[in-house]
Order: sequence, then C-alpha cells, then structure tokens
Amino acid sequence: MGVPAVPIITEAYLDLAKSVAAERGMPTLRIVYTPHPIWGKTPEQLRQVVEGPDPVTGKALMKEFSDALTAPLSPEDQKSGVQPVSLGPDVFGPNTADGHQKYFMDNGMTDYLPIIIPTEEKVEAMLKGTSHHPDEQVGRTGGGASGAWHYTVKQVAVNAVMAGCEPEFFPVVLAIASTGSLALGGSTTSFCYSMIINGPIRDKLNMNYGIGALGPFAQPNATIGRAWTLMGKNLGPGAIPGQTYWGSQGNNLNYNNIVIAEDEKGSPWTPFHVQKGFKPEENVVSLFNGWDLRQGHGAKGAGEAVPKFDAQIGSMFPTMTRMFNCLVILDPLTAKLLKDQGYDTKQKLQNWLWQNTTITAKEYRESFLAHVWLYPRALAGEEPYATWWKAPDDAQIPCWPKADNLDLVVAGGQTNAMFQIGNMNYSGSVSIDKWM
Amino acid sequence: MKRRKLLSMLGISPALLIGSQAAADGGRGGDAKTPDAGSPPKFTALSPKGTPPPVMRYAMAPPLNTINGKTIYLVDTGFFGADLLLEQVASWYQRNMPSVKTVLRKKAGTYPTDDPKLWAEIKANANATIMAIGH
Repeated sequence: MGVPAVPIITEAYLDLAKSVAAERGMPTLRIVYTPHPIWGKTPEQLRQVVEGPDPVTGKALMKEFSDALTAPLSPEDQKSGVQPVSLGPDVFGPNTADGHQKYFMDNGMTDYLPIIIPTEEKVEAMLKGTSHHPDEQVGRTGGGASGAWHYTVKQVAVNAVMAGCEPEFFPVVLAIASTGSLALGGSTTSFCYSMIINGPIRDKLNMNYGIGALGPFAQPNATIGRAWTLMGKNLGPGAIPGQTYWGSQGNNLNYNNIVIAEDEKGSPWTPFHVQKGFKPEENVVSLFNGWDLRQGHGAKGAGEAVPKFDAQIGSMFPTMTRMFNCLVILDPLTAKLLKDQGYDTKQKLQNWLWQNTTITAKEYRESFLAHVWLYPRALAGEEPYATWWKAPDDAQIPCWPKADNLDLVVAGGQTNAMFQIGNMNYSGSVSIDKWM
Repeated sequence: MKRRKLLSMLGISPALLIGSQAAADGGRGGDAKTPDAGSPPKFTALSPKGTPPPVMRYAMAPPLNTINGKTIYLVDTGFFGADLLLEQVASWYQRNMPSVKTVLRKKAGTYPTDDPKLWAEIKANANATIMAIGH
C-alpha cells in the first residue's frame, strides 16, 4: 500500500511472526512485541504494558513504534521480486534403515513412530494403486499464512508408504489429499480431524466398522488416518511447533485422526454419503475438523426403564464450543433404539436435537471464542448471529444455527448402546472412485 | 529444533528446514550402496515433502520523517485483547504525543478474512498503521 505498518504481537509468537513475514516476502518486517498474553487484562494492566518495555528488545514499547515507522530503510529492506524456495534433495541416502528412520524423525517428517521407509520400489508399488500419473498435481493447501503449497500423486504416495498403507488404500489417501485439507492445522486450540468413508470400498479394503470401529484394530483404518497426519507434516508448510503449529496442549487424536467407516448395513438410516448427494454405490470420503470426541450412553443409571438416548446425546451439546458444529457417531444398536423411539430418519433426530437442546443468549455470547468467531458475523448482519447477539440474556437459543449443523453417522460393534460426539465441522465430501 | 529456530530468527522459510543432501547421506562418500561385510545394507529413500510457492519479496514502505502531526490507524484484527490494547496505545498518544491523531478500526469479519475496504481507507487517510494481533 505504500503506508508504513507495524504489527504488534505477543512475544509467544515471535518465531511465527518472523517466519510468516519471511514467507510473505517481508523478512525484514519491523515487529513490536508485548508480554504474553494480553487478553484478560484490565485497562490498567494494559496501560502498564504500553508504558513498559518490548520484552524482546528491552526498549520502551512506544519508542519501538516510533523507531519502526521512521528508521531509514536498509538495502535489504528495499529488495523485491520473486525468490525461489528450495526444499533440499528429492532423494535421501544411501543410508541404513536405522539411519533413514533417524533422519526422517530428526527432520520432523514423521509422527515420531517408526515409518515404512519410502524407497523407490515401495513408492512405485504404491503408485500402482491408482491410474493417475505420478506427476499429476493432486491438490494445493489452502494458503493461509504460508502460502499455497502443491503436491503430486508421487509426493502423496511417499507419505502413504510411510504411513503403512497398501496400494489398494491409495485412492482414499489421494481423495483426502485432493481437498487441500491437510491434518495438523496450527491453531492454538489444538484441532483434531475426522473422516467418514462410505461405499463398497469399505468391504473391499476390509475396513473395520464393527467392534472397536474407532480403535486400532484394522490396517486401513489405522494407516489411512496416519497418512493424513503425515501429509499434514510434509505436503504443506508442516506442523513445526512454534512456527507453523501452535496447539497449546496438542491433540492425541492427531496420531491417526478419527477414521469412521460407516456401518451402512447395520444402520437403520440413509448412509452419510447419500445424504450428501452421492449414489449408494459410490465410494466417498467426508472430512471434518474440530476439537474432540467424548462418549455417552442413553441410560442415566440403574433402574432406568427406557434409555433416553435423544436427551442424553443432547445433554452434551451445551458444554461444546460454538466455534464448531457437531458430529454424532452412533453405535448401530443405539441407532436402532432411536429408530424404535420414533426417529426413523436421521433428519428427524437432527431436528429434535436442534430444537430441544438450548443455551441462554448470555451463555452463547460468553462462550469461548464467541468474540472472535460469532461477534464479527453478528456485526456484519449475518443471521442468526445478529439476532442471537442482541437477544435478552435469558433467551433460549439453539446450540447451533440450524439442524443441518448436526451430522449423524453409524459405526460400532453393537456390544453396548454407545455413542460418541465430536465437536466438529463438516468440511466436505469427495469421490474416492475418481482416484482409482 | 535449535536449527529451525535459528533459521527462523534469520527470517528463512521453514521450507528450507529439510537437511542437505550431505546430511541426508549421513556424511558418507563413495559407493555407499556397497555394504561392508557384516554391515547393514544401505539404500536411498524419497522425500515426502510437497512443493512450496515461490516467495514474492516486497520492498518495505518508505518510512516517515517523524510521527508528529501524523495520522496513525490502529487496527484490531479480532483476536481477543487487541481492541483493549489499542485503546491504551491511543490513550498513550493523547497523553504523550497529542499531535499524533489515532483512528481505531476493527477489521471486518473473522480474523482470517480480508478487508479490502479498510485497506483502501488506510491508503487514502493514514500516514502509518499499527496492527494488533491479540491473544
């Protein structure tokens, strides 16, 4: 714009600020820092921050602003133009198996569990799992702070090998990669990721949607999910703690994500991918991102005559963040019991849950990150955010804007009538068949 | 991690964080594929990395001679705490440099959303900008 500008950032983000500035072509950007954090402080405490020193340089913070806006430009500050970025070698070694394991781990290319070393032979074998050319571009990352990276079929194959995938799993991995949504987003709130796989490929690959459906009991479930995480590490700017990953506590679900093969035969309802407009015989993967997974059961305790599954599922909603929607994973036994309660379609259950689980407008406005995610949409006049933001404190409002914000899927072994709830957003469904 | 931090401090992209070929080779020279008797076999492996975009470098905007008498836009990106911090920055200028005119603005939309209207306003009216990220 030609107008001098100075960002002010808390000192916790020093590495992030410098690396993002460099990736955005401004490696000499002048940045001023405050102590961390600044939120939750009183005006008086913030006045002291402003009158105090920049914790990185030790100089007076307000003087730092003046200096940053007025100091002459160095020759380095005045450089411009395209600069290529090198990633280093395409091939590592020769090295021993142990040497490769160490090299991949030491350079942040793994999940710190042993990998299958991606030799040329293993990658060639993986590439036989698709008809697509190894050099075809599969997708691009969303851009964001680090710009959009792109990747080829072969680069995806390397990650699939590392994760332990078989070649027949590869079209699923490619379909995930094609979305550009790579696992391991950098949020300070430690996101997790989930996928639903539908269609005949579930049985072709021997995916587990029975007992232990979400656990470590089947190779495709385990390795396809792990491949998603490794792609998040390698195909984009990477999940480098302190630079491109900021999850304060991290998320254990990131090891292989939440891989759900829907039990289409055991479910009394329409399969998830058909709800999204695909044909039953199509193979589809649907992706989610969010925070967590928690378990529940319909019976409130001993002596409960009829388990109230609908109420029990809904009872968890008010404690979830409003930043994400909701994914409900129902054991087929639970789904059948719900059908017996009168919910003969997913939509009926979605509608009941949406209408009957509410929070107060005050709770809504004071919920975590409401100021960041909901208030700007209310300010812009977007409904229902605008109306809900102005509602009286004690007004009851639904937990989410519409019933469709609740997604339902069925998987499990029917050994108990369980359900699990993920505080998650549906981000889309893509064809697996396209990548065969 | 120390190496990464060092590169970052130097303003070098994390795209460069993968080791050199020499490091990947483990410092071995010659025909490394031929194992010594009793030593484990050696072989090559492929890099799992994607391809980063080229970096378009921008020259920094010309600096001001002084901020006295100038208009500084204070922009809140929407992260928590930024608005209150900027109010204190504005108060500091009022108390200590009253010739500086400050204009508080909240960027429209959630924090990743672009706000070209605000950028146009800044270009038309501001001599400088301070943007608070919050957190």
